[in-house]
Amino acid sequence: MAVQELELKPAVPASPLTGFWKMFRENRMAVAGLVMLLVIVFAAVFADVIAPYNPRSYEGIQSGDIYNPPSATHWFGTDDAGKDVFSSFIFGARNSLIVGFFAAFISIFIGGTFGVLAGFYGGRIENFLMRFTDLMLVIPDLPLIVIFVALTKPSLWNIILVIGLLGWTTTARIVRSQTLAVKSRKFVLRARAIGAGNGHIILHHILPLVMPILVVNAILVISLAILSESTLAFLGLSDPLAISWGQMLNFAFGRGAMSVGAWWALVAPGFGIVWVVLALTLLGNGLEQVLNPRLEAHHLMPGRLPVWGGEAESYPATAVRKSRRRKDAAMVLDVRNVSVAYVNGNSQVKAVQNVSFQLYEGELIGLVGESGCGKTTLMLALLRLLPAAGQIVNGQILFDGRDLTSLSEAEISDIRWKDISIVFQGAMNALNPVRTVGDQIKEAIVKHNPAFPQKRLETRVIELLGLVGIPAAYKDHFPHQYSGGMRQRAMIAMALSCNPKILIADEPTTALDVMIQAQILDLLDELRAQLGLAIIFVTHDLGVVAEMCDSVLVMYGGVTAEYADVDTIYNSPRHPYTQELLKAFPDLSRPERKLAFIPGHPPKLDALPPGCRFAPRCSQAFERCVSEMPRLYELKAGHVASCHLAEGKSR
Amino acid sequence: MTQEYALEIRNLKKYFRAGRPGWFSRFEKYIHAVDGVDLQLRRGEVVALVGESGCGKSTLALTLMLLEEATEGNILFEGRDITHISARERKAIRQRIQMVFQDPYESLNPTQTIEEIVTEPLIVHGLALDGNERRQRVLRALEDAGLKPAEDYLHRYPHQLSGGQRQRVVIAGALVLEPHILLADEPVSMLDVSIRAEIINLLADLRRTRGISVIFITHDLGTIGYFADRVAVMYLGRIVEIGTMREVLKKPKHPYTQALLSVIPVPNPRMRKKRVILQGETPNPIDLPSGCRFHPRCPMALEVCRQSDPALLKVTETHHAACLLLVK
Repeated sequence: MAVQELELKPAVPASPLTGFWKMFRENRMAVAGLVMLLVIVFAAVFADVIAPYNPRSYEGIQSGDIYNPPSATHWFGTDDAGKDVFSSFIFGARNSLIVGFFAAFISIFIGGTFGVLAGFYGGRIENFLMRFTDLMLVIPDLPLIVIFVALTKPSLWNIILVIGLLGWTTTARIVRSQTLAVKSRKFVLRARAIGAGNGHIILHHILPLVMPILVVNAILVISLAILSESTLAFLGLSDPLAISWGQMLNFAFGRGAMSVGAWWALVAPGFGIVWVVLALTLLGNGLEQVLNPRLEAHHLMPGRLPVWGGEAESYPATAVRKSRRRKDAAMVLDVRNVSVAYVNGNSQVKAVQNVSFQLYEGELIGLVGESGCGKTTLMLALLRLLPAAGQIVNGQILFDGRDLTSLSEAEISDIRWKDISIVFQGAMNALNPVRTVGDQIKEAIVKHNPAFPQKRLETRVIELLGLVGIPAAYKDHFPHQYSGGMRQRAMIAMALSCNPKILIADEPTTALDVMIQAQILDLLDELRAQLGLAIIFVTHDLGVVAEMCDSVLVMYGGVTAEYADVDTIYNSPRHPYTQELLKAFPDLSRPERKLAFIPGHPPKLDALPPGCRFAPRCSQAFERCVSEMPRLYELKAGHVASCHLAEGKSR
Repeated sequence: MTQEYALEIRNLKKYFRAGRPGWFSRFEKYIHAVDGVDLQLRRGEVVALVGESGCGKSTLALTLMLLEEATEGNILFEGRDITHISARERKAIRQRIQMVFQDPYESLNPTQTIEEIVTEPLIVHGLALDGNERRQRVLRALEDAGLKPAEDYLHRYPHQLSGGQRQRVVIAGALVLEPHILLADEPVSMLDVSIRAEIINLLADLRRTRGISVIFITHDLGTIGYFADRVAVMYLGRIVEIGTMREVLKKPKHPYTQALLSVIPVPNPRMRKKRVILQGETPNPIDLPSGCRFHPRCPMALEVCRQSDPALLKVTETHHAACLLLVK
């Protein structure tokens, strides 16, 4: 069957590793750091081949060779013993890197183990390990190292051991906090429920998620270890026979390079240290961006102008819905053929295409569709709050005789919140935890209405809280003293602070209990009647809006599937998607009926099917649906559906 | 020997300490999360456990999973008391009692492939050591969870699946151990309404084909509908009404159940009905109200409700409710 072919083949499974390499290659900082590091590692490994002279042998050196400036035979000049500085530099790289890598390995191992164990087990183990870590942290490292090295025989391995054993404290703290975060995630609880023991959980669930932070941290620890080694060698505490950059600095400084003006003997090792530390810092920062994509800012950058102009389609003029409540109700919002695209580089995603609807005062419209159908994008577009990559590519949003799409940023910000305000899903978690709820409402009032009389502020806050059913005494409470439902009410009170004409409620009851949900719905219904507020209610649940909506706009894959008054939507829906959504809703009057669901999931907006967007999941689809995208057909005044089955079915 | 009950809970209590005795209070305070629950789960039976957040239903689930130790009372698994058993025995029991969590976005480790996720329980329990046999069991679990063809999913990662598919993976990870009991803690509340039935129908099929008993925890009476055999309504750590699905949905006796039922939206604008919206939220389970725990929010509370704490009263052989209005 043609319809089956449309079922999109799953993309080639991308493992996190291949994804990592791709992002790594695209990160210039990380690549530059890695290349710089590899150059020096290469030189260190093949020092015997690369270095033109053996820095340990005095063969062929004459008295005139001391502190010779750079020349063709000695690129970096010669040192106090007449030896080639370039060769010492190459061999010095070897020892400096050996100390850096091995010391860091010890630090990371100890710090990682302490951090994971303390974070995972908590209680006494954590107390002991972290207090020990704190103790190590307050001991000044350098004097301790100096004493330590002075007491032991100065050798490269002693240096490694000392630096490694003292440099793990930061790692332990970072790893502990990451472990704590991972431990509280649900998949750890699930692993326990399976019967997994602590060892298994640490190995399979904690470590893989701690690893990225550990890797980034390791890079920084390496560079710190190299610096420590240089310091110690400079102080003369390293093995005098092992040439390292610090050692070179020590010798040059101690043996009069400065007084004879032999700058090259100091610059060469100094350059080596700076080079490696810079390389590691770049690599570390780059890796952090790659492993933690949230640090990357480019998806917030404005995209280039879109290629797609949005195929504007004229909306059937007669389809403009009349108000259902009162004949003389004024239209407060007229959305006409709005299309929104997200532009990233040269690619673009059509998130919303030619959506139109009307909103009258005192009305409630339900905007319904599954996750990823473009509902939230459309709402953000109304307020011009789209992320920078999003653009309204065509259409008009008429509010109060003005087209919101053509207003300047200053003009729109005057309308936002004052005339059209929004309550987001999970908004109750957006309250500032350290300020009282009353203060936060006051701030919202003053911010948008600086002339508001100070004397009236207090009464206004109490009035607003009263509107949403919160007793006045609660105004001086902090958000954590509120329950989830009360916080959501407080957010609604804040949204009402400037007497808006339109309130957008974006899934305001998702994640709340049914009883709280009922309370909030009831509240919105009351506000509409009391204040003449027009409400746009965004939800994935058709059942919720049946109780109180005047009209319903069903969206699917960024387009209007069906738009009509509430009675038509529920009692004679024409789009198969609307019909299926209704069937998926449990009907308690017939509990024995087997619940239906819509197989599959909504299309990804960057991979839309060529024909009707619902065709791959539609039980009534035929050939035409696969090849041709249906336009909006008008079924009767104020009722439109984008389905080929609706063609010619109008009055 | 066949036991009638897969799981029997007797007067189960789970208290958490809330602060130590200090200068001002000489007595320790406790959170009465689960406060005397009796429940029997028959083999192959589905019991829905309904209540608002804070009513103790999730704590009850964790206690049944032996992830929290019961303060008082007993849990009997197939006739055997498992309330306080050694870590080794606990591990063996976990093969038989498995859990499905609320949030399929959080309950899968993002760094594991689907194959690793579903194989993990077998490794943990040292089952199906032969590689081929192990793979067969994993494939079968995935197919039973409705992920077909299973091979297509093995090498994918959780972020490449939709919410419904992820929840199926969680279920497959439980099925692979061939459990007798499945505890489903709000398994659909994070999913779109349009695909909720997909998961519920799957659980119904598993009960039929594998004879698995299910405890389905939810805050929404609407989602369980036809699927549950019996419904238990919880309020503040106790079961306040229990009966067959039909009895509870059609003839609820407890005012709390009636309110919960009344707020479930009816998807028909011509049938807008009177809703009983309870004000406030479940009170905190530290300082319990005197008398009937529900009386401060009850629209029908009488004077006697302040003093007397009702036990479950018999309505029919299968239907019980804890309400003093039934005494008359």
